[in-house]
Amino acid sequence: MLSFILIIIAGLFFSGIISRTKSIASGRKGPGIFQPLKDVVRLFKKGAIYSETTSFIFQIAPTIYFASIIMAMLIVPFGQSKGIISFNGDFVFFAYVLALGKFFNIISAMDTGSSFEGMGASREALYSMLAEPAFFILMGSFSLLTGHTSFQEIFAALHLGSTISYALATLATFVLVMVAMIENSRMPIDDPKTHLELTMIHEVMILDNSGFDLGLILTAGYLKFAVYGALIVNLFIGIVGYQYSIPLFFAIQFSMAVTIGLVESFMARFRMNHNAQFILVLSSVSFLIFFVVMLILGKFI
Amino acid sequence: MFLINLFVAFLVVIASIIPFLKPKGVGIIVFISIILGSALSGYFAVNSLIGSQIEFIFSGSQVTGPIPIRIDALSAWFIMIINFIFLTGGFYGIFYMKAYREQKSNIQLHGISFVLLYFALIGLCVVQNSIVFLILWEIMSISSMLLVIFDHNNPITFKAGINYLVQMHICVILLTIGFIWVYFQKGSFDFNAIPIFFAGNANIGLFLIFFIGFGFKAGFIPFHSWLPLAHPAGPSHVSGIMSGVMVKIGIFGIIRIASYLKSDLILLGEIVVTVSVLTGLFGILNAAVHRDFKRMLAYCTIENIGIIGIGIGIGMMGMGNGSPLLYYLGFGGALLHVLNHALFKSLLFYSAGSIYQQTHTRNIERLGGLIKFMPKTAIIFLIGAIAIGGIPPFNGFVSEFVIYSGLLEGMKSNSVSQLSLLILSFAGLSIIGGLSILTFTKTFGTIFLGNQREKLEHPPKEVSFSMLLPQYLIIAAMLSVAFFPKMYLNLVSNLLYKMSAPHLGFEPFGFNSYSTIASNISLFSAVFIGIAVIIWGLRYFVMRNKIQISQQTWGCGYVVPNTKMQYTAKSFSKPLGKILNFLLIEKKQFEEIKPGEIFPSKRNYVSNYFDFFEHRFISNITKRLVYTVNYFKFIQNGMIQSYVIYGIVFIVVIFVITALSIIK
Repeated sequence: MLSFILIIIAGLFFSGIISRTKSIASGRKGPGIFQPLKDVVRLFKKGAIYSETTSFIFQIAPTIYFASIIMAMLIVPFGQSKGIISFNGDFVFFAYVLALGKFFNIISAMDTGSSFEGMGASREALYSMLAEPAFFILMGSFSLLTGHTSFQEIFAALHLGSTISYALATLATFVLVMVAMIENSRMPIDDPKTHLELTMIHEVMILDNSGFDLGLILTAGYLKFAVYGALIVNLFIGIVGYQYSIPLFFAIQFSMAVTIGLVESFMARFRMNHNAQFILVLSSVSFLIFFVVMLILGKFI
Repeated sequence: MFLINLFVAFLVVIASIIPFLKPKGVGIIVFISIILGSALSGYFAVNSLIGSQIEFIFSGSQVTGPIPIRIDALSAWFIMIINFIFLTGGFYGIFYMKAYREQKSNIQLHGISFVLLYFALIGLCVVQNSIVFLILWEIMSISSMLLVIFDHNNPITFKAGINYLVQMHICVILLTIGFIWVYFQKGSFDFNAIPIFFAGNANIGLFLIFFIGFGFKAGFIPFHSWLPLAHPAGPSHVSGIMSGVMVKIGIFGIIRIASYLKSDLILLGEIVVTVSVLTGLFGILNAAVHRDFKRMLAYCTIENIGIIGIGIGIGMMGMGNGSPLLYYLGFGGALLHVLNHALFKSLLFYSAGSIYQQTHTRNIERLGGLIKFMPKTAIIFLIGAIAIGGIPPFNGFVSEFVIYSGLLEGMKSNSVSQLSLLILSFAGLSIIGGLSILTFTKTFGTIFLGNQREKLEHPPKEVSFSMLLPQYLIIAAMLSVAFFPKMYLNLVSNLLYKMSAPHLGFEPFGFNSYSTIASNISLFSAVFIGIAVIIWGLRYFVMRNKIQISQQTWGCGYVVPNTKMQYTAKSFSKPLGKILNFLLIEKKQFEEIKPGEIFPSKRNYVSNYFDFFEHRFISNITKRLVYTVNYFKFIQNGMIQSYVIYGIVFIVVIFVITALSIIK
């Protein structure tokens, strides 16, 4: 329950902090930290335009996408307090629920019959597929290290053994940040501020969404960031008390947002055809974690 | 005993009256015979699933020896699946074949083959005598081949049928070798001789022979190449049945033989897991790029066979490690996935059949926007697509979750090779999941969404209720697995308990907690649906007084779009095909514009994907084979005189060598 509330709070600020960082880094005055929220509220108040081509799939897809994020939020734990839903192997459920949201997002882009939106849909499907093994190998390795198979038990037991686990957590942070970037289609995979439809991934998929639906999709994006941020926080807090872990939560979420802002300010996006290689590199980082876990457990003899 | 005699007699009667029926009656008689057959076999199956094994022994003949009929829980599980799919398939088939009623004799042959296939499959599940098993196997292969080549005037269909027949005979040869090996060692055709053989001899050789033999039927790589040819060739209800249950007989055989194993289990388990992961990846990769939707579904079957195989491999590793939980999770996941795959794959094939019936094309690039004309079929296909991707809230997730749990449980092992293999399978399974999203969003999106890409001769409309009914039944069964998984998992755990009882005696203690988790997951899926409904209600509430306008799709400034500009399936999967071009072989046929050609004429551009194994290995082997065999062409010269001479020479040779007592 705690993590659910914390993720919502973090989600409220996350996108604002990213854009604030970007504006400061580029020397602009920039919008306030609440601008993304105001945008969403404005969208919620608006009417909507639907393409004549679309069917009911286009109408229900944003709802299901948003519901999938809410469901994923329910699974994420916070330190010693479990998520609202917690069972052995819950991280598999987590990944597959997010996949359901993605499925509907992709087909809703196909539903418009546009010559561009399918392009984004194709890329989204491909890149998130390539990122999948990184997450699974990572969680599999941690499950091997701790002997547990649910998010909360894995994270609680992660640092009980040795301090090397903090090094692992750092590596895992890299993987999770990158997975978050891929899932949210941010730099260096995708540039949300690009102005050419041919080079977009996520943005081009939602070209035809408007009003409440667009608001839902944007909110889901903000929350998704906070969900991955919360997973990263969990890598570090272990079982420390709430008086430390809650400030730590916000500190880590804040620094993740700032990092993303800085990356987007100072880095160019990758060439589209290099993305696949880059994403597969994440899996090899995950394998590195797996081998370190095997070393720690003394399986190589 | 009497009932089984009745069963066989009944089959003979049905097969002999069909040729005297009108085409309209054939379908009904076939369906009735399947109802009766499944009532009888279902009665035995339910008894043996709940109670204990049922055994009859027929005296048999001198050649076969006694013929034991044993209906144990494993056979019962497969019988139930076969019954359900044949009932829905038979019903769907009656209406699917309506358009072909003028082809009287063809329909009759089709009906006879359908009944024969059904009875052969049931027979294969229960007969435990090698020779009778092989005879039934042959009946199954030939009858299914006859079903596939219904449209035999089409050379592609006929070729696919012949290809299938040849491959099935390689499979039979391997099975025959396996059974004869056991016979020569133990002197019995009874299946009970196999565990005795395994107890005394090396396990690897015989198991691998059986694995490859059954693997041909199941479609493990590199023995899969008949599937993508035969499935698109047959009528849709046949494809649904072949893909849903007939390939599962291969799985049945593998599980049966695996349960007899005594030693080398870990090594064999590792081999099975490795082959299966590769099968899964290969299948889904090809499914992602193919644009013939039935061929896509055939490759997807190969993928799911891979997933089932991963479960079997883990189960075998569990048997080898002496870990009951791993045994239950592995085989349990595999058996549940057999059921799930039978359900959603037949569902997808039936809805694909509905599409084909209405549009007369299997090329998804020619379709589009069908959701507006066939909304029910679209929803059915969507449900199948989500379920087959293993995505909650449908049934595919339950079995995949059990297999994932098996992989995680397997990581308690200490051996580096097992751990590495398991983590790779873990990653492989996740890639399979991701790719199946890509595949099915592509297929669903291109067939049903957007605008119609080509004007079809007959405007498509929704198929009749009679064709939808079997699909609704399958969806109901799928939902029952998704929302009451505990019942099915308990059945599976009982089954596995009985299977392990004679040799291993594993108790299903830890497994029960997983069936609790599975039923919790269905609860969470319900929560998810609840959340979605709440958000939908909120959306409805907020949007109720707002302006909602319908306009053209945003064309990025271009105002006269046409339907040809939509993103195609080919371009959707092109980035994937490009990354993996060493595996997904693309052949393009086009004529380049020559330098001096000032006014280019109309040109065609064709691009197709080829199967890696078929293109790189199998076709090369057959080419060499044909080249060699050409030298012996003079033997078959078409002159009766020479054939008579061959006969005489043969008789003389036999006479001489017996007279000189070279053979006795």
